[in-house]
Amino acid sequence: MPLFYKHEINYMGLFKDIQHLSNSYIVVESLLSSPLKFEAVTGNFGLNKKITNKNLHRPQLALTGYVELFNYFPCQIFGNTEIFYLNSINKSERISAFANLLEFDLPCIILTNAHILDQELIQLAIDKDVAILVTPYDTTKTTFLLTEYLDDQFAMQAVVHGSFVDVYGVGILFAGKSGIGKSEIALDLVERGHRLVADDVVMMTKKRESIIMGTGTNLVQHFMEIRGIGIIDIRQMFGIRSIRFQKRLEIIVELEEYVQDNEYTRIGLDEEPIKLLDVDIAYVKLPIFPGKNITVIAEVIATNYLLRTYGYNAAKIFTDRLQEEIKKKKGNNNPFFDNRNVKFFQSDDE
Amino acid sequence: MLEVEVEVINRAGIHTRPAASIVKTAARYKAEAFIVRDGFSINAKSIIGVMTLAAEQGSTLTIRTVGEDEEAASKAIIQLFQDGFGEL
Repeated sequence: MPLFYKHEINYMGLFKDIQHLSNSYIVVESLLSSPLKFEAVTGNFGLNKKITNKNLHRPQLALTGYVELFNYFPCQIFGNTEIFYLNSINKSERISAFANLLEFDLPCIILTNAHILDQELIQLAIDKDVAILVTPYDTTKTTFLLTEYLDDQFAMQAVVHGSFVDVYGVGILFAGKSGIGKSEIALDLVERGHRLVADDVVMMTKKRESIIMGTGTNLVQHFMEIRGIGIIDIRQMFGIRSIRFQKRLEIIVELEEYVQDNEYTRIGLDEEPIKLLDVDIAYVKLPIFPGKNITVIAEVIATNYLLRTYGYNAAKIFTDRLQEEIKKKKGNNNPFFDNRNVKFFQSDDE
Repeated sequence: MLEVEVEVINRAGIHTRPAASIVKTAARYKAEAFIVRDGFSINAKSIIGVMTLAAEQGSTLTIRTVGEDEEAASKAIIQLFQDGFGEL
C-alpha cells in the first residue's frame, strides 16, 4: 500500500507546482500518542496494523451475530452498549460472539470508560494480532477526541516553499521566487519582535474545512539560510520569544520583482483570495524594489487584516466618505479650500 | 516540464556538502528546479529544502525542472548524482 494518497488538485499561478497529499494509512501504534491516554492491554500485539479509514464504528449488532452490514474497516469502539451486552450473556457465548467479530480483519478495538474484557477475549485478540486499547474517557469524549486526531492524521497536506511568520498574531506566508529575499524579510520581522514559524520548507495541513495550520519540519525547526552568511539558528540567536511551532495560515504575500506593466492593488476593496489545500486564503501580491521596506509593509498588512477581522475596513470607510462628500456637494465649492481638515490655524504655530 | 528519476549512490547520502552543490548548480539556471521524494516536492534552489530530504544512499528522487533551460538544468543536476557528488 502506498504511503500517501495523491489528490488531483492543480492550481494555476503561485501554487502550480504543489502536490496535495494525505496519509493513506497510519499504524495502530500512533494512536498511543493521541491525547486519549490509551493503554494497550494486548501488549505489543497488533500495533503495526494499518488503519486506513478515519471513521469510527460501533459494532453493536455485529456482536449479536448479525454481520450482514458490518463495517469492519474503521477502528471498533466498544462502549457501554457493547460491554453490557457481552456481560449479559454467559461466558461461552461471550467468547464465541467476540471470536465471531474477530473473523473480520479489524484494525483495532477500543474500549471506553476503562472497561475490562475477560482474559480469554484478550487472548483471542492477541491470537488474531488485533490490538485492544483502553481509554478512561467515556464514549462521547472518545469519539470526539479520536475523530479530531484521525481527521488530522488523514488530512490533506502540502509542502510550501516560503517563510512563515506570526506578525502581531497573524500568520503570514511569504512566497515567491528563490532568492527574492523571503528569509531576509522573516529575519527582519523576527528582529522587530515577531515570531518565526518555519523558513524555506513549510508543512501546511488542512484542518476541518476552512483552516490551514502550518509548521516546520522536525529536522529544520527554526534554522534558516541567509545567502552570503550561511545557516543560522533563530531560536538560539533571538531566544524562545522569537519562535513558535505552529500557526494558522491567514495571509499569503507573494513577493515579485516590480514589473512596470503589472497591475497592483491600489485601493484594496475587492481582493481575490488564493486557494491552497482547497481553502481560500487572503492574498497580497507585493512588488519589491530597492528602498522599499517590506518588513513595515508586512506589519501594515497584518494590522489591516486585524482591523478588517474586527470590523474596520479602511478602504470601504474611505470610499463611503468620498461618496458622502460627492452627495453633499452643491455647485461651486472648492474641494481644497472649503474642505481643509483644520478650519482655522489659530495662533498656536506648532 | 522535465522529470527524471535519480538514485543517491554515494555512501554518505545528501549531506551538507552535496546539498550545497545541488543548490549552487540549480541556481545557475533560469528554470525552476524541484526534487520530489515520497510525493512531496521541495525547491532545489533552497539549501534547507534539499537538506530536509535527508536522502540516504540508495534512495530514489525525482528531479523536476520547469522553464526555458530545463533540459540543461536537469542534466547538470543529474550529473552531480551520477558523480556521487565527487565522493565515489
